[in-house]
Parts: sequence; C-alpha cells; structure tokens
Amino acid sequence: MAERADLLQGTLDLLILKTLVLGPLHGWGISKRLRQLSADVLDVGQGSLYPALYRLEDKGWISAHWGESPEGRRAKFYTLTPSGRKQFAAERSEWKLFSGAVNHVLRAT
Amino acid sequence: MIVRLLRRLRALFRSEAVDRELTAEIELHLEMEAEELMRTQGLSHEEARRRARIAFGGIGRYREEQRDARGVRWIEESLADLKYAVRVLLRSPGYTIPAVLVLGLGIGATTAVFSVVTTAFGRLPYPNDEQLVRIYEQNSPTNRWTNSVADFQAMESQAHTLDAVGALSFRSAPVAAGGDPQTLTVTPVTSGFMRALGVRPMIGRAIEPADDPLGAPPVVVVSDAFARRALGGTAAVGKSMMIDGRAHTVIGILPPGVRRLAGVQSDIWPVLQVAPPTRRGPFGLLVIGRLKPGVTLEACRKDLADVSHRLQGVWSDFSDAEALLTPYSLRRMVLGDGAGTIGVFAAAVLLVLLIAVANVASLTLVRTTGRWHELSLRAALGASRTRIVRLVTIECVALASAGAVLGMALGAAGLRLLLAIGPFIPRLDEARLDARAVLFAVGLAVLAGVVVAAYPLVQLLRRDPSGSLAGGARTVGGGQHAQTVRGAFVIGEFALALPLLAVAGLLLNSFLRLQRVDPGFAPEPVATARISLPTARYGSDSAATAFWNRILPALGDLGGATLVGLGDALPPDANQTFNQNNFDLIDHPVGAGRPQSVSSWITVTRNYFGTLGVPLLEGRLFTPGDTGSAPPVVVVSRSWASHYFPAENAVGRQMIEGGCITCPRTTIVGVVGDVRYDGLTLPGEAIYAPMEEGNWRSSVHLFVRTRGTGTDALPAIRAALLAFDPGVSIDQPQAMRQVLDGSINQPRHLTTLLLGFAAAAVALAAVGIFGLLSYVVAARRREIGVRMALGADRQAVVRMIVARGLWLAGIGAVIGLAIALLATRWLAQSLFQVSPTDPVTLGLVTLTLLVVALVACWVPARRAATTDPARVLRAEG
Repeated sequence: MAERADLLQGTLDLLILKTLVLGPLHGWGISKRLRQLSADVLDVGQGSLYPALYRLEDKGWISAHWGESPEGRRAKFYTLTPSGRKQFAAERSEWKLFSGAVNHVLRAT
Repeated sequence: MIVRLLRRLRALFRSEAVDRELTAEIELHLEMEAEELMRTQGLSHEEARRRARIAFGGIGRYREEQRDARGVRWIEESLADLKYAVRVLLRSPGYTIPAVLVLGLGIGATTAVFSVVTTAFGRLPYPNDEQLVRIYEQNSPTNRWTNSVADFQAMESQAHTLDAVGALSFRSAPVAAGGDPQTLTVTPVTSGFMRALGVRPMIGRAIEPADDPLGAPPVVVVSDAFARRALGGTAAVGKSMMIDGRAHTVIGILPPGVRRLAGVQSDIWPVLQVAPPTRRGPFGLLVIGRLKPGVTLEACRKDLADVSHRLQGVWSDFSDAEALLTPYSLRRMVLGDGAGTIGVFAAAVLLVLLIAVANVASLTLVRTTGRWHELSLRAALGASRTRIVRLVTIECVALASAGAVLGMALGAAGLRLLLAIGPFIPRLDEARLDARAVLFAVGLAVLAGVVVAAYPLVQLLRRDPSGSLAGGARTVGGGQHAQTVRGAFVIGEFALALPLLAVAGLLLNSFLRLQRVDPGFAPEPVATARISLPTARYGSDSAATAFWNRILPALGDLGGATLVGLGDALPPDANQTFNQNNFDLIDHPVGAGRPQSVSSWITVTRNYFGTLGVPLLEGRLFTPGDTGSAPPVVVVSRSWASHYFPAENAVGRQMIEGGCITCPRTTIVGVVGDVRYDGLTLPGEAIYAPMEEGNWRSSVHLFVRTRGTGTDALPAIRAALLAFDPGVSIDQPQAMRQVLDGSINQPRHLTTLLLGFAAAAVALAAVGIFGLLSYVVAARRREIGVRMALGADRQAVVRMIVARGLWLAGIGAVIGLAIALLATRWLAQSLFQVSPTDPVTLGLVTLTLLVVALVACWVPARRAATTDPARVLRAEG
C-alpha cells in the first residue's frame, strides 16, 4: 500500500469526490462519469476505484447504501457526506494551488 | 470514529457478508461494462464480458486490497496464524506438553505468590487506611510496648490530630452461647476502635459511645462465622451470650469473611468498658487511631509527645521520662516482620519462574532452528519477513497463553495449598486470585512468550530465511551460535538454581539446629490444657484462691496424673506481650527517670517446676509458706541471673517490682534452669512469681505429668473441674511434645517450601543441561562415530560429553555462588545459629548441584558412547 504514490491516490480521491458532487452514483457510474468528464483521458483502473471507494467510506467522506439503479438493478450507491463535501472543497483548492504552481514552473523558461 | 470502528468490526466478524456485497458490486460493474461494450462496439455478450473482466483486472487481488482498505487484514491474518500455531503446537506434543507444563507451573506459583505479596503489602480493607495508626509506648527505637488505660483516655480526650481513638484488650475467656463454655479468644474493644477502622457490621449495629461507660449494658459484636456456628446465623442479633460469666447482648454481626480487625484475629468483640485508672500502668491495651484528614504522621507524633509529657506530670508512679506515645502506620504494623519471609518466598518463586522460562526458551530455540527449513520455504514462497516474525511470535504467545491458563488453575490450587500448610505470612487468608492477579498472570505469559520468542526472532531478523533454503535442513539445525546461546541458558539456570538451593540448605541447617535446642523442660510425659474461670465469679482473689485450693490437690491423683502445675505462659512459644513486668534491682538501681529493665514475668504454682522438669540450680523453689501474707519472693532463670548478677550470687538479692515504690521489696529465693518462652531461638530470661501469693489468673495453663502417654489424664481432670463448677472451661488439650513441635511450624513450613522450590529449580536446570547434551550428542553422532572408528575408546567419548556439560554447570555454579554470597545475608533474621555464608552448607549445596549435573550429563554421554561406529558410517554412506 505504502509504495503507491500519494499524489495519484490523492488525485483519485479528489476525482471521485467531484463525480459525487452532483448526486449519488454506483461504482460503475463513477468510473463512467470520470471517463466522460475527462474526455476519455482518465480511465481509472477498477482495481484502484473500489479500494478508493472503501477508503473514502472508511474516512466518512462518502456513505454507501443499496438501492435500485435506473436499469432496475440492485446497486450500491455512494453519496457525498457533509464532511466529504468539506474535504472536496479543501482538496480542490489544494489541487488548484498545486497545479497552478506546477504550471507556473513548467511555463517558466 | 465509532461508526468506523463498527464498520471494521462488522468487516472482521461478518467478512463473508462483506465479501458477498463486494462480489455483487463487482458483478454489477462487470455487467454494466459489458452492456456498454455490446451497445457501443457491437460485441457478443461473451466477448463483452471477457473484455470487461480484462479491464477490471484480477478480481482476487482486488479483494485482498479491499480487505487491506478495510483495515482488518492484519487481524484476519493473525487469526489465521493463531489457528495455524495451535495446529502446529498440537502436532508436536513432545515440545508443547513439557513447555506448557513448565510455563504453567512457573506462572501458577508466581501468580499465587503475587496474590499473597500484594495482599500483605497492599491496602488494609478499611476506608483511607493510610490514615490509620497504631500507637505504642516507646523509649527507644527498638523497645516499644502497648498502652495503659491512662494513656488511652489521655489520647481520647487530648490528641487533636486524631479523629478517633480506640482500644483493644486481648484475652482468653470462657464463652458460652447455648452449649458448654469454651475458652475462646475474646477481644473487648471501645467504640472508637470500630469507628477508627470504619468497620460496620453486616447486620445490626457497631459498638457505640453510649456502650463505653462502665455500667452500660454489656454488648458484643460477633463474626459471621461464629454467629453461624453458635448462634443460629443472622438470628443472633438480640440474643444473649455468656462471656467471662457475664451476659452480653449480641448487637451486630460482622460481614462474612471478616475475622480480623487491625490485624487481630478474633470472633468475639465485646465492648471494652474501662475503669478510671488509679495508676499509670499496667500497659495492656492495643490502641489505634485515625489521623484527621491532612494530618501527617510527624504532626501526630509531636501531638502525642505533648500528651505523653502531660501524662508524666499527672502520674508519678511511672518514672520513665523517655517513654513517649508514638504512632506507627497501621499497615506497616500489620505487615510486621512478615516482610522478610515474604521477600524470601517471592524471590524463590521468581527464580523458579526465570529458570522455567529459560528452559522453555532453550527448547523453543532447538525447535525453531529445526524449523528453519520450513520458514525458509515460506520466505521463498513469498511470505514477508514481518509475516514470518509474526508467525513465530504468535506461536510463542499461544504457548504462553496455554501456560497462563494452566498457571491460573495451578495458582488457585497453590493459594489453597499455602493456606492449608499456612506458613506465617500476614493476611494470607485475605489473599485472592483477583483481577489484578489474573492480569499479572497474563502479563507474565506475554512476557514469557516474548522472551521465549526473542532469540529465534533475532535470528530471523539477522539472517535471510530465503537464502538458506539451498543449505538444507541439516546444516542450519545445529548452528554454532544457537549452541552457544543454549549453553548460556544452561549456565543461567545453574546460576539461579544455586542461590535457591543455598537458601534452602541454610534454612534446613538452621531448622535441624532448632530441633536440637533444649527447650528447658522435659516434654514427656506431660500434657497441657487451658483452663478459664469466669471472672464474674472468680474475679476476687479470695474466690480464686478458694477454688484452686480445693481443686488442685484433688487433681493430682486423677487419670494417672502424678504431678499437676499451673502457669500463665505456655513454653516454648508463649505470647509474651502481656507477661512482662519492669523491675529495679536494689543493688544495681537505674537512675530516676531512666527506663527500668523489663523481663518475662511468669506466674506459676509451686509444682510447676517439678511437673515440667525444670531443674533447681541454687536456693529454693516456692514453698507452702509463700502466700499473700508472706514477704513477696521470686525465682529467676539461670540466664537472667547471669545477665543481672554476672559475678555474684543472685539468691537473696532484692528488687522493686513494677515501679511500685510503696510495695514491699521482692526477694530472689532461687535460680532454676532456663525455659525458652520467647521461642526456641531466644534465651530464656525469666522471673517466676508464685501464684499462691494471690496472683491467681482467670486463664491459666494446666500442666500434668502422667504415668500414661499423651493427654490420657485430661478427660478425668476435665470431668472433675466441670463437676466442681460447670461454668469453668477447659480446652486445647495437647501433649507438650506436640506443643514443642508446633512451635517450629513456621521455620518448618518455610524450609519445606524452599526445599520444594529448590528441588524444582534443580530439576529444571538438570532438564536444561540434559536437553542440551542430548541434542549435542544427536547432532554430533557422525563425528562421534568417526572418532570411535579411528580408535577413541568409549570412556573418552563419555568424558568429552560430560566435561562439556560439567563445564557449563560449573560456570553457572560459580556465578550462582557469587549471587548466593550477596543474597543470603537477607536471610540472616530467619536463620538460627547458622551464618548466611556458612561455608559447609554452601559447599555441600554446590556439590549437590554438580552431582545432579553429572547425572544429567551422564545419560546422554552414555548414549553417545553406545554409538555403533559401523552403523553411523554406513548410514551416512
């Protein structure tokens, strides 16, 4: 676990939280929304997605419940919790600061 | 936080349900992914599923990661390791059974002793027991005694540092609750005694201030055990019982199990109603007090010193200006000098435990090196080093836990055993295997597990298990380093066993000397019993004199009795607290205001000496003429005479008795042989006064010299006494031989226990060296075979193996001897006529240990010598 880069993990968490801002989704829905939003650039490996979902749930940022999907299937839906919303805001501004700084560095000659 | 914990717990205990959910979730994902692929790329259902699965990745690995994310993986793995460890341990009973037994014994003994020690040193069972003090009269740091009525009343009214002051007196008296009167220990107390302790009866009320004044209706509080035995249990309250010939109303029953208050054991606690004092002495009260909140012992000491000085101004009959009322922590006083015994005891048990753990550690070392191959295989198959370390640790902890469970059972049994044989340990009856003891046992088990696992773990961490797979099992098994460590274990075991054996040897030596001590009387054929007269009827001298004058001559012929004497002390272990008096010699007076000498003061009838066979050395014994109207006379013991009149003849000298300046002077008329009254270890300095002078006691010891054996004569005497007055009680019939043997029960028990511990330690050390050499022999079988094939004779082989073992045992013994020389001096107070460094004892003990080691080495050496070289060489081909 520890070998995985923090950046990647942190980024994935941020992205998942972002997909859930609009409303509850099930696992596949999250992965699909990520692909759509990133114009197919980001294809999150499912092997990373589900552990991330459990981790976020464990931290209390998202909650899960079993419900019915629009296709009529039993599915596990993930919802952003209030503390998750706060976490998202914090992570987003951190990311902006970080990516802005990186861009700044890269633009410099 | 709690939600998270709950979820983790759910994940742990309902991992199947969680896995099922996960499977459903994955299934849904795959299904939707496949549908998407079918829709967008027009693939067949099968192909779409295949691609979806490929995209998803390894489902098994994913699940593992899921469990990691759930934070329970390590628990699940540990449980798996535990299951595995139990299986492995069960599969090798040859290792597991001895290891668990040895650990169990060690932990059990240590836990039992832990309970005893924590109870003895722990809080007394009273609220805020640190405020409780016992008060003594004291004129030097080593000389203190009990208090008088004047002392008690002065403290009660003047000591402003004390919240409550209570007094207790202590005697034997006939007690009748329904049936025949029995002589029992009776401990009258004032209301302050129970108030200071904070003791409340379970039923009824405690003794209250209204009960204290002389003339108030006599009341009594009894123990639960006594109420059940004699008074019909809880119905006892309100009933009447006869104590010392007076009717007392039972007002309260103490809670079950409470048979001791402030360290004094008794079942019967009547009210103590003290008469106003007419002089400062006598000093017969045990006084306790409770410090006011926030008051220090030092402040109380100053306060009581002031009280003492005021007392000296009031009473001129007691001239010792250095005697001050001095408070001591009650907890410390109840522990008394039991601390020494407990220390020896606890140290012995700890040593046995250490040796036991060393043994198991050594055993485990062999086993782990033997399993090196298996562990290497695991490493090669991808088990992480942490995982292997955990496996080994868990196995050792599982082993130790089994030891702890066994130890707890053995500890409970051991505690009962201790109670049954009862060596003198304060508050032993209060000791329980409570939660603390259980915690202690568990702690010991974990510690033992860690110690046992330590060396294999260090090896695991230092060497890469996967690297040694190629080497095969045989070469790693007998690693030179492991041998050295095991050798060190054996040395340590012998180094610990020797001091224990030395202590046991010294105690045994001391005990044997104690048995040979001349008690100063001829125990055979003499019987003894205790007789108590109800003081209500025999309180006056004239009534008691009349009783004994009529009854004593009649007893001489009954049931084979040849001679009958009475005395107020039972040698050799009389409780001398109340049989003492001070005196001032006319020829060698101490100055005014200086403390006078104090001696054991035994009151006896004139036939006492003949009955017990105490020889007259000089002067005369008491005669029929020594009565209350004649000038007072005493007889002294030989050691008393040589102490106070070293160069002169003591007979004819005079003294002032008990500081009574106005009384007639007392003359010494004879010197008799020493009788040991303060236990067999102390000289028998004593002064004897004639009972016929009017010193009749309400409770006396009867001594009967008989033609028969044992206590044959006593039933007839008992019948005669009861026929004369059915209110008289006569009990505790014993042969004097029994009394004499009983007096050395405490050293006997201590010696027996220590011998037991030492035997266990030596046996464990022997097993340790035996195990090591057996292993060496097995590992070097081939080498030995080669040597013998090359012409080494059997003797040489035996010598080689034995020498190796004896070398280790010898180093251990030398270290142990050094430890013993340092440690045994703490034993000095428990030894009699034996120096703590007695060279003969220490020499014999060392020799014994080495002989045991020799035998333990001999067996594997013999086995080595019977090696058939031809067969070994052929097998190795």
